[in-house]
Formats: sequence, structure tokens, C-alpha cells
Amino acid sequence: MKLSREEVNDIALESRLLLTEKELDGAVKYINNFLDILDSFKELDLTNVEPFSFAEALECPLREDKVKAFTNTQGIFNESEHVDGSYFKVPRIMED
Amino acid sequence: MELYKLDLYEASKGIKDRKFSAQELFESCRERIDSCEGKINAFITRTDNAEPITENPYGIFAGVPTVLKDNLCTNGIRTTAASRILGNWKPPYDATAWKYLREAGAVLMGKVNMDEFAMGNTCGNSAFGPTHNPNDISRIPGGSSGGSAAAVSAGYVPFSLGSDTGGSIRQPASYCGVYGMKPTYGMVSRYGLISYGSSLDQIGPFARTIRDIQLVMSVLAQYDPMDSSCFREKNPDFTHHEDASIKGKRIALVKEFQNFTLDAPIAEAMKKTQKVLEENGAIITEVSLPVVSKYAVACYYALAMSEAHTNLERYDGVRYGYTVNDAAGIKEMFERVRSYGFGSEVKSRIIAGTCLTEPSRCDEYYVAATKVRTLIAQEFIRAFGECDFILQPVTPSLPHKIGEEDEDAMKGYETDLYTLPVNLAGLPGLSFFTGYDDSTKLPVGLQLIGPRWSDSEILNAGMILERHLGSPKIADGGVK
Repeated sequence: MKLSREEVNDIALESRLLLTEKELDGAVKYINNFLDILDSFKELDLTNVEPFSFAEALECPLREDKVKAFTNTQGIFNESEHVDGSYFKVPRIMED
Repeated sequence: MELYKLDLYEASKGIKDRKFSAQELFESCRERIDSCEGKINAFITRTDNAEPITENPYGIFAGVPTVLKDNLCTNGIRTTAASRILGNWKPPYDATAWKYLREAGAVLMGKVNMDEFAMGNTCGNSAFGPTHNPNDISRIPGGSSGGSAAAVSAGYVPFSLGSDTGGSIRQPASYCGVYGMKPTYGMVSRYGLISYGSSLDQIGPFARTIRDIQLVMSVLAQYDPMDSSCFREKNPDFTHHEDASIKGKRIALVKEFQNFTLDAPIAEAMKKTQKVLEENGAIITEVSLPVVSKYAVACYYALAMSEAHTNLERYDGVRYGYTVNDAAGIKEMFERVRSYGFGSEVKSRIIAGTCLTEPSRCDEYYVAATKVRTLIAQEFIRAFGECDFILQPVTPSLPHKIGEEDEDAMKGYETDLYTLPVNLAGLPGLSFFTGYDDSTKLPVGLQLIGPRWSDSEILNAGMILERHLGSPKIADGGVK
């Protein structure tokens, strides 16, 4: 299955990436080469194969549901330029 | 003797026996870095400008310096993943692996270079420029943990940490001539490791002796409730046993790999290593991995890119890293931050991952890849019913010159065939030194892999190989 320039650009926009013409050329080639290789999966009979998981744990790997305070919240806020009080402030979300 | 030349065990013992101080060792390492770093460029951030402070002078590391790959979070110290998008981010917490080292007395000399977000195998795909191989500075050190391997190879520090998603510890260890261990998935906590492919990522050590790898593993392999994939019921023992034996162990070669071309020094190393193993009582045998050899590369990249696309959604310029302040709306902010912040390889992988996981294509590609992964894991379980370890190359060739990357990205990826399957099945793998190539003088490494949780047994075998093949020397680092 080959993807067109427009389709690849649409996928990039979905990923919130604006590509230059050169980057788009590279991405189209990259993805189409890659999809060709993935088509090799069709040679395998995967009908009764379960998707992979590391299902060897003897117990469910959950920790106790107990609140534990993270003490360095100031360390988090120090790293953002978009802090307002104890919130992060972002630009307008709704578009015209 | 200059102190920087000591390995971890000797350095730690020397400090504890009061033959020299941690301060003297630290200064020797710092001088070594000063003399080579202009040629090697292993560091992103140096933290060796202050007096060394160890939290535990009686711990295993007793003040011995180390460096960390720059995708391991360090509280209050810049952590970039070699990407512009993280800018000058200073994490508000430590990665568990670093916390364990710190508590055992290790001292941080800095954060080292890597391919951006661990995506690459050259250490040239970094916002901070390429790292050079200390054995030949015109060549790549390998990647993505190229800075961690180069730092140990050049004698900056006796040991370091990296991460391995598809070979990122084992391949640079081999290219730089040091030992590198990719532990069983779940053996070492990933908490505080900047995620690339979460079901594949694993933290592990680099060092110049197997004993040192065992020492670091004994500290790293601890349960951590902050990582749900971390082991619980296992009780790993990384004690160094001088009398360890491989007598009667069945060590297999992969039948299908024998049709693939290897550069002469690597083919010779395979023969030499088999001879050493046989002379020490091991039985060389053969296993068949048809699905692995044909489908692992495609399976790996389908899963790694899908996971990367999800993991990298969080970089939006709101809470950390590079940002813009004049965007008209949030969509514009996200687009401008991500388009400037990510390098082209990362962008390509995000787009590929988005493509594979879209509802219209998900079953055909992503879900199919997760099923192929099951077949690969089952194939390894069957193979380890017939053998104890598998011996194989790390790469088919020695490191190429910087700037000689193949333009066809997928062709470059295929050189990862020997390393990727280990991550898909969550297995442990040791990249070990076999000697130097006569003509290029470059180190030649190979790989020993085993079933899940066989890490300490692999290291015992590695110790016997080291005894007979020799330990690597510190590279000249471009300084004659």
C-alpha cells in the first residue's frame, strides 16, 4: 500500500508536525519503504496467535492504592514558562 | 599509574583501602576528560566542576565516578535526551537506576551523548553533534548509547549507564571495545528513563571488565514499585564467582544467520570464541530461528515506532522544555514547538507510528506486529529448550566512518538484526570484547544471549571468555 504526499502530510498534521517540503519528501519515501517491508507479515498465518504480552508474573503487578505525596512540585513549576499560580496556562483551545 | 586507568573494582577497593582518595580518582578522571573531550564529544552536560560528594563512602562504589546517558532523569541536572525539544529541562526527580547508584556511593561526572530519544545507532543523530569513537576518532562509536560507551572506552570513568531498546547498549559496547549488558526486561527499573519504546526499553551498564558489570548489576537489579514491569519474585545473584564453569553448557549458533555475510574480523572472532568455549567444556550446537531471522526487523520497527509516537505525544511545550510564547492558539503552539524541537529521524518515526496505529491500518500493521512478536518470543523459548545460550555477532561489520551513513534508512536498520530480537523477547544479552582487528586495530565484539532471567549465568560465561580472550584496553581517545 503506497501513501501519497497528501496522506503523509495529513498524518504529520495529526501528529502536530509541520514538515518542510524536503522533510515531507523524506517522510513519504521512509513510510512507503517501511510499509512495503511490513507487508511481509501477510506471509504468516496469524489467525490463532495472541498479541504479545509479558504474561509471566505470578501476581498482578499492582502496588497498593495509597496516596503518596510528590514533594518537589516547585521543581515541576520551575521548568515551565506557562505557570499561573498552581496551574499551567495554555493559549486558546477553541478555534474560530 | 594514573588512577583513571583503574577499573571499578580496583578503584573502589583502592579508596576503601585508603591507597588513594575519591578526590584523587575524581581529579584523575577529570584530567583525562579534559585531554580527550575536544576530540570525542561524549558529554552533553558536565557536572565535574564541583568537589565530588559521595552519599556513601562505604558503599559498593565508594566515591567512584560515573556518567549517565542523557535520557536518565537526574534531579536538578539538565536532561535532554539529545533533543532540542527538552531544551534545558531539569527533572524534579531521579531515575531509580541513578538513585540506586548514588545510594551505593557513585559520583556523577556528567550526562552523555546519544541519538535523539535513543532513535539511531550512530550517536550522530544528536542535537549536540556527533560523538567520536575513542579507538579511531574518524569513526562512529555506535548508538544510541554512544556517549556512555565512549566514556568508558576512553577512560573517562570506569563504568556508565545506557539504555537498550533494540541494541543501544550492545552495539556501541562492541564498537568501542567495552562490555555492555542489556538485562532481562523487568530486571532493572525503568522509572525515570525517558521513554522511547516502553515494552522494549531497558537500562544497563558499560564497563571494562565482567566483574565490574556484575558489580553494577548487583546494585541495579532491585525491585522498584514505581515500575510495574519490574520483577518481584526473582532473586538475582550477581556475585563474582572465580570458579564459575561452562562445562557441559550447550551454546548454539543460529542456523539461519549463517547464510548472512559478516566482515572478516567478525567471522574470525566467531570462530575464535567457539574454540575458547569448546576448550572450556561447552558444547557448540545449532538452533533454528526462522521467524526471527525473517520478520524481526519489520516487527521491531512497527512496534518501536508505534510506541514512540504515543510516548512522544507529551512534548508540547506546556510543562517543560522548548516553548513559544506568542502562539494564537494551542494547536499552533504544539505544531511550532514539535516542528522545531524534534529532529528529522524522530519526526519520521512519529509519523510512521501514527500511520501504523490509525484505526484503518491498526489491525493490518500494529496488531499483526504484536502477534509476530508472540511467534518470535515462542521461537526463543523453544530454542532455549535445546541450548543454554546463543552466540552471535552484534553487528555484521565494524564501525563505519562518521558521515558514511546509508541513505536508505531501512538498509541501516537491517544491520540491527542481531540485536533487535533480544528486546522483542525481553531477553538478556551481553556484548563482549574478543580482541582487536589486526588491520584496523578496532575492537571486535560479539554477543551472548540467554533465556529470560539468565543474566548472571551469561555473566559467568562472559567471565570465562574474558579470561581467555583478554580484557579491553583503554582507547587512546585521539590523544597519542
